[in-house]
Amino acid sequence: MTGLDALPPGASVRGRADGFADYLVGPAGRRRELTDRFIETFEAWGYGFMVTPLIEPLDTIAAGVGGARQSALFRFMDSDGALLALVGERTVSVARVVATQLHAGPFPLRLCYAGSVLRNQALNAGRRRESLQAGCELVGAGGLAADAECIALAAAALERGGVEHIQVDVGHADFIPGLLDSAGLDANAREEVLAALARRDLVAVESALEGTDAADAERRLLLAFPTLRGGREILDTAAGGLRGARPQRALQELAQLWDLLDAHDITDRVHLDLGAVRDWDYYTGPTFEVFSVDSGFALGSGGRYDALLSRFGAALPATGFVLHVDRCHDSIVRRAGAVAAPAPLQVSWASDAHAAALELARGLRHRGVACSCDLAAGGDGDVRVTASGARWSHLGRDQQGSVDAALAALVAQAS
Amino acid sequence: MTGLRIALPGGTLFESACNLLNAAGVARLDPARFDRELSIRDGDDVYVKVRPTDVPVYVEMGGCECGIVGKDVLWESSRECYELADLGFGRCRLVLAAPRDSPLARGVWPQALRVATKYPISARRFFAARSLNVVVIRLHGSVELAPLTGLADCVLDITATGRTLAANNLVEIAEAGTSTARLIANHAALKTRNESVGAIAVALRRVAAERLTAGAA
Repeated sequence: MTGLDALPPGASVRGRADGFADYLVGPAGRRRELTDRFIETFEAWGYGFMVTPLIEPLDTIAAGVGGARQSALFRFMDSDGALLALVGERTVSVARVVATQLHAGPFPLRLCYAGSVLRNQALNAGRRRESLQAGCELVGAGGLAADAECIALAAAALERGGVEHIQVDVGHADFIPGLLDSAGLDANAREEVLAALARRDLVAVESALEGTDAADAERRLLLAFPTLRGGREILDTAAGGLRGARPQRALQELAQLWDLLDAHDITDRVHLDLGAVRDWDYYTGPTFEVFSVDSGFALGSGGRYDALLSRFGAALPATGFVLHVDRCHDSIVRRAGAVAAPAPLQVSWASDAHAAALELARGLRHRGVACSCDLAAGGDGDVRVTASGARWSHLGRDQQGSVDAALAALVAQAS
Repeated sequence: MTGLRIALPGGTLFESACNLLNAAGVARLDPARFDRELSIRDGDDVYVKVRPTDVPVYVEMGGCECGIVGKDVLWESSRECYELADLGFGRCRLVLAAPRDSPLARGVWPQALRVATKYPISARRFFAARSLNVVVIRLHGSVELAPLTGLADCVLDITATGRTLAANNLVEIAEAGTSTARLIANHAALKTRNESVGAIAVALRRVAAERLTAGAA
């Protein structure tokens, strides 16, 4: 190791930028497998796999998510002077594709994807700047059955991927804004409370409400904010004393959604969360986040975004979700520990047995057994197969090329 | 279900944080024990003593489910945590202060203002709202020395009693905010450990409110 004094100032760790990661043999494979499990599940539910670019014009992204989030993007200019950005999420890209290329239907459209997304996080924050997301979008379906399908699919994919003890928190993007509406707050107070909620600063929510004449039922709900969680019964508790039509409608939708989730047989993993803080400008209906006790971050999130497609010229309702593959992988490793990937078998051979060794290797691979063949002759056996270092098997001349014999000998020695 | 991991801020808030947790019946902590150990188990819960600025880091990243930290630290932090309760203690103010004999002290703002501070993010937000031409100079301690040596025109710093400012011949020009200790929680923990986290929040809020009433009476 070179001492700090000998290194040039500002040198990154051998040329890798902060917030990015190399995945070596083993973790890289498990990360890919996890992605594969997610995509397999999506496809099993009828979602078609598609690919969108890593780069989009800044205008496209801004049209989709608004200006506020642009500071978190890696932005640059191409040779024509056009402003481009590395995508920070991929729902906007899918919306662009649907609105421009798939607008003729048939609907509903079920689409899925997996790919890197990039966020320009602060240095040394311990946060990833590049992460892998796998997601689904269900476009052209306005009913709650579509929302229920997405929630059930997200849970199914995570469980198929081996993420344990998941918990889905389901909220509604219109409940809190609707509550503020019916509480009779003026526009300023309403913005102040929403901004405080968006900052997750409940102390500020409280002090913002203190100075207002919010009606009691609404004030009580807003102050109880983080505890507005539970099963279907909390909807009745919350509805008591509420007069506004907007929050009532959100509660009714959540009640119907709960029954649909019950039909999907996943209500044992679902909490209704009326205090869910999400992006209210983006989401328009039910929203959800998936958690595990093994992670301090949400493993997945999604919701209904009926306003997005119209920004690209196709007024279509849509709902969808994204799973954070890296956080899921962290969560699995935290519970189970890093599982060593099985090493491939090693086929070695004596000077006159190269062809026989290659034939054996072909046979093993044909059976789906990973193996690599030595590039030069070695040892005194004819053909040998070595598994994970110490265990090995001599094969007699008459057995050379016999895959069954090689596998049987390995199994015998392993047991 | 295992207990919670709770981050406590070392420094001026530390003893008060332990006392509040004890008074609320949440924990039975002997602050002096943390001189020898950085991590102490209390029942099912684990308490760790970390630098105040590290509390939001532990909580956001999931190293701890909850933490106690001054609002002044949260102003400077870009960490996403839930701020659950105002705990009332550790009250101090973030103020802009300038030498007693400076034009600034007479209410005359210079064309370009050099501000020394340990709170650069708060400083930028404070001055951005006032459209002033400001150079923020980030220091790590004893910012009162900056005007004395000509390094800066004024300071933006925390004051509890005003004594340090006065001792360095500085007078308050404006207040940027009032800080007290806050209970913060990790996003996922608030959902997956809602009952345990909620119980701590309720207990601490109750004691903080009682103390506020007792103090006012």
